[in-house]
Amino acid sequence: MNMTRAWSLVTSLCLILLLAGLLLKNGILLAVVLPYLLFSLIPFWRRTEEPHLIIERRLEPQYLWGGQPCRMNLSIQNVGNDLEEVSLADVLPAGLQVEGDLTYHGIFRAGQTEKLLSTGRGVRGKYEFSGVRMSTNDLLGMCRYEKFVPSPGTLAVLPAMERLERLKISPRRTRVYTGVIRSRESGAGVEFFGTRAYVPGDPLRHLNWKAGARWDLLITNLFEQERVADVGIILDARSAVEVRADGESLFEHSIQAAASLAEYFLREGNRVGLLIYGRMVEWTFPGYGKQQRARILAALAKAELGEHAVFKELEHLPTRLFPSESQIVLVSPLLRGDVPMLRYLHALGYRVLVISPDPIAFEKRFLPQDECTALAERIARMERNATLSKLRRASVNVVEWDVTTPLRIPMKQAMVGEKRWSVG
Amino acid sequence: MVRWVKRLAAVCNGILVFALFYHGHTRVAIIGGLLNLAWVVDEWFPSDIRRFLGPWALVINTAFLAYGILSGGPSVLALFLAGSSLLAWNTGLFLERWSDGPLTIQYQYLRRVGTLIALGLLAGFSAVTLHGRFVLAFLPVFFLMLAAGFLWLRIISKVLKNRNPG
Repeated sequence: MNMTRAWSLVTSLCLILLLAGLLLKNGILLAVVLPYLLFSLIPFWRRTEEPHLIIERRLEPQYLWGGQPCRMNLSIQNVGNDLEEVSLADVLPAGLQVEGDLTYHGIFRAGQTEKLLSTGRGVRGKYEFSGVRMSTNDLLGMCRYEKFVPSPGTLAVLPAMERLERLKISPRRTRVYTGVIRSRESGAGVEFFGTRAYVPGDPLRHLNWKAGARWDLLITNLFEQERVADVGIILDARSAVEVRADGESLFEHSIQAAASLAEYFLREGNRVGLLIYGRMVEWTFPGYGKQQRARILAALAKAELGEHAVFKELEHLPTRLFPSESQIVLVSPLLRGDVPMLRYLHALGYRVLVISPDPIAFEKRFLPQDECTALAERIARMERNATLSKLRRASVNVVEWDVTTPLRIPMKQAMVGEKRWSVG
Repeated sequence: MVRWVKRLAAVCNGILVFALFYHGHTRVAIIGGLLNLAWVVDEWFPSDIRRFLGPWALVINTAFLAYGILSGGPSVLALFLAGSSLLAWNTGLFLERWSDGPLTIQYQYLRRVGTLIALGLLAGFSAVTLHGRFVLAFLPVFFLMLAAGFLWLRIISKVLKNRNPG
């Protein structure tokens, strides 16, 4: 229980009058002290009760898309004695836009339940609710009891996604389950793989009559097995690659690309893992299906840019997290120093695909269109092109993405350029 | 209802200050009267000024009543001024928190503050009546003063230490 400033004021006046009365030996002044004295003593006579509250927080849904509203229901029950005057205020996480009841002020009888209903909206991110700040005081405002009642809750606003279609990847190693990725092994499939001499038991409809006529042998067609693969998505969350202008962030586009790719590869039945490389390494273990999609989106929802001396360069990328000879997709605007590590990954047997949101095109939109900007753009473009060509020479597939266009357009163009991403 | 009680108490303050200083200190009477009239209409002021005005009006009224007593003014008026000042200040405090509180709460509050003021005034009047019948010896006075001074310093230091609103 704390005394309020009002109590301090009235008690101070009481004591000053008392001192003056005693000092001047004035009985009337001492008599006048009495009304003030009663106000000073009231908190000791009627003590403020310690409140006992049960708070339950319900967020529906807990995971939502940007712009989608979340119904927030805070139920507060008084399981203690009657409280004369209670103020309750929900402590909101920063950045969340909320409409509705967030505070309660009034009497709180024993057993009474109050419900605070509100609606929250937010941009991509993870919003942690801590609890409710509560204060109760006597009606005269002389003393107050303050308490923070924890009622945790987490709301995740998922990143926006784009539906991607028909991306072909061909890692060196595939998994045993049937999928859509060519496995470089003959078996049941639809794509022609090669021919061999007929052996009894081969289906007759697979006989290659033309080849048989030429070689005077029975030749049978082989088909390439299509399987699922391991795909590791790496999101570059280093502060050094970030470009921010006019409240817009290039990192948000990277997240959107990572989410779209994860959604696509999971939809195709692959096993997908996510690594967020920035302030630290945040690893979402590879998995299949809708649950894995939810896990990856939740990880992307809370992804933040960060800086760490160890993770300044890509050289400390934990390659052992990814199955050998699997497909790696790096989403990064790229720095000059990233080339050696990507070459190294390729040398280790990984198939590397780089989706690179174009930082120059992104920033140019927010700069004045003059000669200086044009010159700066030219220099930056030359530098970036040199980096990208180094990567392409090292057989790393690079898709340069101007974030003003949907991701599927540069992906489609890259597919036309290279019939399939299996080169190298 | 509390609003009207507060207004009435502030009007009473003005009248009481005016009456306390009317004979001999006309200027003080006018200044005190005007200050209390401003307190009557403080709802029209911005909340910052209102919050500032309430405690200061109480302090100034207390100073007025002490001055009035010391300059030989009627003790009954001084006591009433103390009661109505406390009433106006505390009702203002209540209105800050419950600008439009439910009637049941208002009744409950008025009952409580009314009892307190009535008790204070009755005790005060009893003390005034008994005035002169007790001899204030040096030792008790000295110890009382020491205790009061110590308490006051403690309150002041506590207020300065935790500057929480309240």
